[in-house]
Amino acid sequence: MAATTALLPVRSENRLLNALSIVPGVLLLAGIGYAAKVLERSVNGYAKAHHWTFPNIEYVLWAILIGLVISNTLSIPKIFQSGIATYEFWLKLGIVLLGARFVLADVLKLGGISLALVVIEITLSLLLMTFLGRLFKLKPKLISLLAIGSAVCGVSAIIAAKGAIDADDEDSSFAIAAILALGALALFTFPAIAHSLRMNDVSYGLWAGLGVDNTAEATAAGALYSDAAGKVAVLAKTARNAMIGFVVLAYAIYWAGQGQAQTVTNKAAFLWKKFPKFILGFLLISLLVSFHMFSKGQVTSLGNLSKWAFLLTFAGVGLRTNFRDMSKQGLRPFIVGALGEILIACLTLGLVVGANRIWGL
Amino acid sequence: MSTDKPTATASNKSASLSLDTWAVIAALVLALAVRFDILKNVSW
Repeated sequence: MAATTALLPVRSENRLLNALSIVPGVLLLAGIGYAAKVLERSVNGYAKAHHWTFPNIEYVLWAILIGLVISNTLSIPKIFQSGIATYEFWLKLGIVLLGARFVLADVLKLGGISLALVVIEITLSLLLMTFLGRLFKLKPKLISLLAIGSAVCGVSAIIAAKGAIDADDEDSSFAIAAILALGALALFTFPAIAHSLRMNDVSYGLWAGLGVDNTAEATAAGALYSDAAGKVAVLAKTARNAMIGFVVLAYAIYWAGQGQAQTVTNKAAFLWKKFPKFILGFLLISLLVSFHMFSKGQVTSLGNLSKWAFLLTFAGVGLRTNFRDMSKQGLRPFIVGALGEILIACLTLGLVVGANRIWGL
Repeated sequence: MSTDKPTATASNKSASLSLDTWAVIAALVLALAVRFDILKNVSW
């Protein structure tokens, strides 16, 4: 009893220290985000006042660019690291709050279309990445990780699958590096291609949500095009994330059958454990808004809070993208990933164009 | 002694909540704050 009570203050002290350790990094994210907003306003205002023809660079791009410049030119002190890692938390908080900007009817309509496209996208992506991985003679479990990462939802899918299929650390870091590097490239290529094709917001949002692997990059790629496209990209990406448990379970069963992973005894518990719970939060907020639990002004406030959370995420996306670290991970997984991503981008673009013809997005 | 156990288990459970769950809790707290006008007119 005495030992237990003596431990309690130590534990709470540790918790307090842990909480305080994120403060510098979070302040850095907020500082970069705020600077991005200021730059958007001042650069665009200056260009307009001087009648310059200057592209309208949005805060999303400024936040990512500032983060990229810092992470690739300076070595970020350790004191900032744990706070920078919270960008995942801000991302999920932003997504849950974004539920306020969708009434349930939108979620059901767009989410239904997204889910149908997601099932096709996942099936074709898994087959394609497996084929490419075998063609380039990658290790079987690395092929599985790359396939899961590019078909479902990037880094979180790879981390979820790593434990389930008993993959080694080296394979997972190869797969994560490839997915992150390609996600960073998608940030710049997706909006450029969409502008040249003059895609509408809904079509582009669907494409970004289906084609860009990591949730943070998909959200940013959508927001880089327009606010409305960002909303749809998050919804499509969320529909994709919802499939994570099923895909990882299928791979876990496959590798257990090969005698190279533990057998899954309780499949329902496995699915629940892997299911991204923030999706439920997103649906709950959307449900509350649909039942008029919030006034119009309050819905706007929730939408703006979501934007602030995303702002910190975008700064984090730039800060954690280090091209030097990525280049150390080897070329073959990257080539397989890149080839796969290009083909998946074409495939998902085709799917979206087809859906546009059928449902008139 | 038996009274200590549930406290320890509860605190371990709360410490092991996933990032997703924390995000949902934080979002619901913010939504409540907005609903009851503790947070008003959040601008962008």
